[in-house]
Amino acid sequence: MRSYRDMTKRIRSKIARGSGELAILSLLAEQPLYGFEIAKQIGERTGGALQFTLASLYPLLYEMEKRGWVEGHWQANHAGRDRRYYRLTSSGKRQLAPLRQEWRSFFQALDSLAGVSHA
Amino acid sequence: MPDWKQVVKEHMGKRGLPESSEEEVIAELAGHLEDACENEHAQGRSEAEAGTRILANIRWRKLARAIRASKPGEEKMNARTKTLWLPGMAILFPAGLLLMLLDRAPVLQQLLFLGCMGLLLCAAISEAARMSQRTRSLWLPGFVSLVAASLFLIAVGFVRDPSYFFSGISLQPHNLVLPSYAPGRTFYLTWLLAHVLFGALGAYLSRRAGGTRAARMVAGAFPAILMFGLLGLVVPISAVFFEHNAFVLSHPNNFAAGILVWAVAPAIPVLIGTAPFLKEPDFHRA
Repeated sequence: MRSYRDMTKRIRSKIARGSGELAILSLLAEQPLYGFEIAKQIGERTGGALQFTLASLYPLLYEMEKRGWVEGHWQANHAGRDRRYYRLTSSGKRQLAPLRQEWRSFFQALDSLAGVSHA
Repeated sequence: MPDWKQVVKEHMGKRGLPESSEEEVIAELAGHLEDACENEHAQGRSEAEAGTRILANIRWRKLARAIRASKPGEEKMNARTKTLWLPGMAILFPAGLLLMLLDRAPVLQQLLFLGCMGLLLCAAISEAARMSQRTRSLWLPGFVSLVAASLFLIAVGFVRDPSYFFSGISLQPHNLVLPSYAPGRTFYLTWLLAHVLFGALGAYLSRRAGGTRAARMVAGAFPAILMFGLLGLVVPISAVFFEHNAFVLSHPNNFAAGILVWAVAPAIPVLIGTAPFLKEPDFHRA
């Protein structure tokens, strides 16, 4: 029972991480944004279905930065305060299409199995 | 409005963030909290209410751990080593040394005991600002009084009979607990008392390195765990191959008493020692 719970937790965690990467890359493909704006826009545009906390957002951003998908730079925001803006790198742009395809396939597979799109 | 940079610094400053990017991470998180607070404020909450609400939802330890893990290239060693193995070894060494030396020269026992207490007190006092109110007002003074009581006991023993400190002691389990053999009993009590310090030191080092509660407990209980492993597994198995350990098979009661005296009983003081360091520090809010 415990191993089953661990397994589902790991799967959920991987799904959340994967969806977080796709959400951030998609958003940054539109324009450079800083952490709070990324979390806010993702929350608003998904109707609250995807929400980031400090502990989920920044480690993911740093991980993506380490992989070279995004890069951060300090810049003043509209209120004149310095914020670390993230923009998509060319490597990040190359990741976006396969990631989108991967998720599309995942949802199609899940749909054919469980009819989730008609639920 | 709180000084968010100060708030983040207080919570994250000692949690082993990579040095090269610590300032930047703190500034970035502070900016995020500042924006989040303004956002809450814009929704009609007072600044104090918004600040409290935001801080209540942050798990600082988890955040620090996740950030450390996302920048592993800058870490000199992994989190488990820093939070478990190194603190465990750091207390195992003096515990082992103490055990070796106590049998032959009680004066060294006292010196090591005093040294450990001194080091641990320094560590606890330097960490006082980060401790919760309860730790500062209860556990730390309690520890100081325990140290003082131990020192007093040692001093009284020395004044009463200095020759004891230079005599040998039998470490047979029955000699350690029976009231008829004073040197053994005194040694054993000192040995157990020292384990409070070992447990506290291990848990403190683990907490300082950002260890989880479980890691802090295990790091603190290392001497007892090792003794249990040695006596409970290695000695019985070795009895099959080495004649001098065959007593395990011929005297099972004595062997069980040995486990009780050397592994089970020390587990209690080491766990007591870890207790003050198991709580998350409750920082002052700016």
